[in-house]
Amino acid sequence: MLSRSASKSSRYICKACRSTINASRKRKFGTNSITLNPTSDDIYDVVTVGGGPVGLALLAALKTSPSTSHLKCLLVESQSLAKQKSWSLPPDAYSNRASSITPTNQSFLEAIEAWRHLDLTRVQPYDEMQVWDAGNAASIQFDWSAEAIKYNAPLRTVATMVENSNLSRGLLRRIEDVGAEESLMSGWNVKGIGNGIDDPEGCNLSTWPVLELQQIGSEGSQNTKQIATRLLIGADGINSPVRTFAGINTNGWDYGRHGVVATLQVESSSDPASPFQNSVSNDDFDSALEDFLSDDPKSSSSSSQPNFENITPSNRATAFQRFLPALGGPIAILPLPNNHASLVWSTTPQIASYLKSLSPSAFTATVNAALRLEQVDIQYLFSLPTTISEPNNTTPHESELTWRLQHTKSTLPSRSPPWITALQPNTIASFPLRLRNATSYIAPRIALAGDAAHTIHPLAGQGLNLGLGDAECLSRTIRYAVEHGMDIGDLMALQGYSGERYAAAVRVSTGVDLLNKVYQISSGDGLVGSLLGAARGLGMRAVGMVPGVREAIMRTVD
Amino acid sequence: MSRVPRIAPRLLRQPWQTTQREGATAVAVLRPTTVRLYSTTPARAHAAQPSGTGSSVSASEVTHFTNLASSWWDPHGPSRLLHLMNPLRHDFIKSCLSTSADSAAVGPERAKKYAYLDIGCGGGIFASSAARLPSTSSVTAIDPTAEVIKVAKEHQRADPLLSLPGRLNYVNCAIEDLESHLKTFDFVTLFEVIEHIDRPSTFLRQALNHLKPGGWLIGSTIARHPLSYFTTKVIAEAPWPIGVVPRGTHDWDKYINPSELRDWFAKENREASERGEEDIYGAVKVEGCVCLPLVGWKFVGRSEEFGNYFFGVQKLR
Repeated sequence: MLSRSASKSSRYICKACRSTINASRKRKFGTNSITLNPTSDDIYDVVTVGGGPVGLALLAALKTSPSTSHLKCLLVESQSLAKQKSWSLPPDAYSNRASSITPTNQSFLEAIEAWRHLDLTRVQPYDEMQVWDAGNAASIQFDWSAEAIKYNAPLRTVATMVENSNLSRGLLRRIEDVGAEESLMSGWNVKGIGNGIDDPEGCNLSTWPVLELQQIGSEGSQNTKQIATRLLIGADGINSPVRTFAGINTNGWDYGRHGVVATLQVESSSDPASPFQNSVSNDDFDSALEDFLSDDPKSSSSSSQPNFENITPSNRATAFQRFLPALGGPIAILPLPNNHASLVWSTTPQIASYLKSLSPSAFTATVNAALRLEQVDIQYLFSLPTTISEPNNTTPHESELTWRLQHTKSTLPSRSPPWITALQPNTIASFPLRLRNATSYIAPRIALAGDAAHTIHPLAGQGLNLGLGDAECLSRTIRYAVEHGMDIGDLMALQGYSGERYAAAVRVSTGVDLLNKVYQISSGDGLVGSLLGAARGLGMRAVGMVPGVREAIMRTVD
Repeated sequence: MSRVPRIAPRLLRQPWQTTQREGATAVAVLRPTTVRLYSTTPARAHAAQPSGTGSSVSASEVTHFTNLASSWWDPHGPSRLLHLMNPLRHDFIKSCLSTSADSAAVGPERAKKYAYLDIGCGGGIFASSAARLPSTSSVTAIDPTAEVIKVAKEHQRADPLLSLPGRLNYVNCAIEDLESHLKTFDFVTLFEVIEHIDRPSTFLRQALNHLKPGGWLIGSTIARHPLSYFTTKVIAEAPWPIGVVPRGTHDWDKYINPSELRDWFAKENREASERGEEDIYGAVKVEGCVCLPLVGWKFVGRSEEFGNYFFGVQKLR
């Protein structure tokens, strides 16, 4: 060790930083050179690029904690945050971008006091997830009923459906609440990112990222700003410019699938407060449970004992997902309040564009078909023309559906999916499905969070949850660093974040990807297809039957 | 009262034999040593003392740290363990404060801001981290090795917060040269320093003179125990890939045990009471810590008997 040559120069830069600076001399985004000697007004502690839920949650968390509220923060977003803050929809209309928030993330949002700023009449907690496969007769139900019965406790929420706009608006309200509105820079673009300079008479900011910002709508070089930051956070989406600046590559692939989203109206059940509850009434269940738990021999021989494997007490709402291996991916119906639901259907690009071209009534018929008919029948529906109407103004899709339902013997899960009655106008949209993982979530003075770090398949509803988990971990990492006098941009300070979140993201994205692959094989109709389909069904039944496995799966995505 | 390790010496070193520090391949030596704090002669009689009898600075130590200066801030270099230990220093300071009367003041907005004196600051790992805390008013950091002070100042330039006027001052001097600033500091810190000092008793007295009444002396060092010999000399100074610090970094004979520290402060208090005065110092707070591979530093109860530990003592008046 003593053989390491001692540099006699007073301008020492350690080996790790030296290699970083050499790399970062080349590290640029969008600009050839930035010369900057910022005044102290333009030097920030934390600059977040990206005003989605992840960036906003991070800012709210930093400003809520007393240890980090003094940090000079800035959030740069190209779209109008004022418009997001004033977002409003009537109670019978729901945005088509809604996410399923896990209880852990709900606790995080409550801890940063943002949850109470959400419009809670527009969120839907659900207690159960019914999953079944069109290729076989298996189905599985995810819920916490085993615990509820064991401890005689109310059912635990599996997740809560929240419109993304509701969440963003709530976070913006919290940021205003805590007096941090001047940290928001909305309507500004990041034109380029470079490094600061080493001023011989002042500070050496050559390792500090410097952003060149331009106000949207201004021509030329008016309304530009240059700011330096101790820590630059990229919460700027799948094509993150911050990640490009940091020289971080991504691994991953395109699934060759599109996710079709829409907002649907569903048939109301007997209890309007609980969507999709149409199998067992609460009173029947409660009395049956009492009989079951009592030691009375008379009641134990009662013939009308409900099967506790398949029925849950006091169910508020249910999410449904049916795997359609022959048609490109699963269809999911996620509950929203007031007899509404969110559709997420992962399918091939051809089917996606076909669906988008359908009239509303044809569309709802096709969705109902996708939840109930055999795959060959659904495939047939995709071949029907989209413009012909039959007498009574019905579409061929509706008549086909009606006829085939009478002859279909496909299995339904223990709680039936709801009947879709209408499509909310102008809510059909689609987006390509991709898997991306950055090779590193941190670099000197850089951290990535949300989709900039990782993008996954939507079939488990975990994308935004991973991002919110990133925001929580990053705010905690920054808090630890500040409390221990560390430079928050130092790699040693950021390593805790990378260690915790990289493992979590790889776990979830790999699990979801493998699950997707399992349900993509055997898309054919032949012998191999049906054999593999049967194997999958066995697997699904096994997961449901072995005690504890189901709960373990739910815990990993809790 | 002398404390000897319970293991019989295998070999008594003769004065003409060179030590590991000077690069020779000496055999492991575990000879009984008299307690360090009360000796007025240096632990190794043959150590060169060119800077005169009044100095706490050892020239061989200065040479050693000059060679380490360039790699001080390399997070994967020879100082990596110091970087990893630094957060625990702050945790220990907080736990000392919570036991003192200051515990009533909580929250980051408390009016009281602290002034630190960091003796033997090296490249400034602790000094710069203390200067960043919102509860710090100023940090004065001294080190006798000119090269490491240069490295520390260069590091300071890369951070506008540390470059604020008066926030962090590096001075290349020894403690005895800091004539002014007596009794002006809330904290005097000695992290991994006292085991490099030839005359620790005099040094401690000089350091304590700079403490305000109510201020804390906080430091860290290593206990003199056969196990610490094994971990800090045999393992830690082994050749790559096992070793983590350069050979010659530590001299086991200079390590100080927690009991010796306690006895020293008790003696000061006893002398004060003989003069009819109140106790000068509070109880010595000690916390052992252990460096575990892949995990880092952790506080481990009772490990102060045989390894690294933090100590803190409050000057009551």
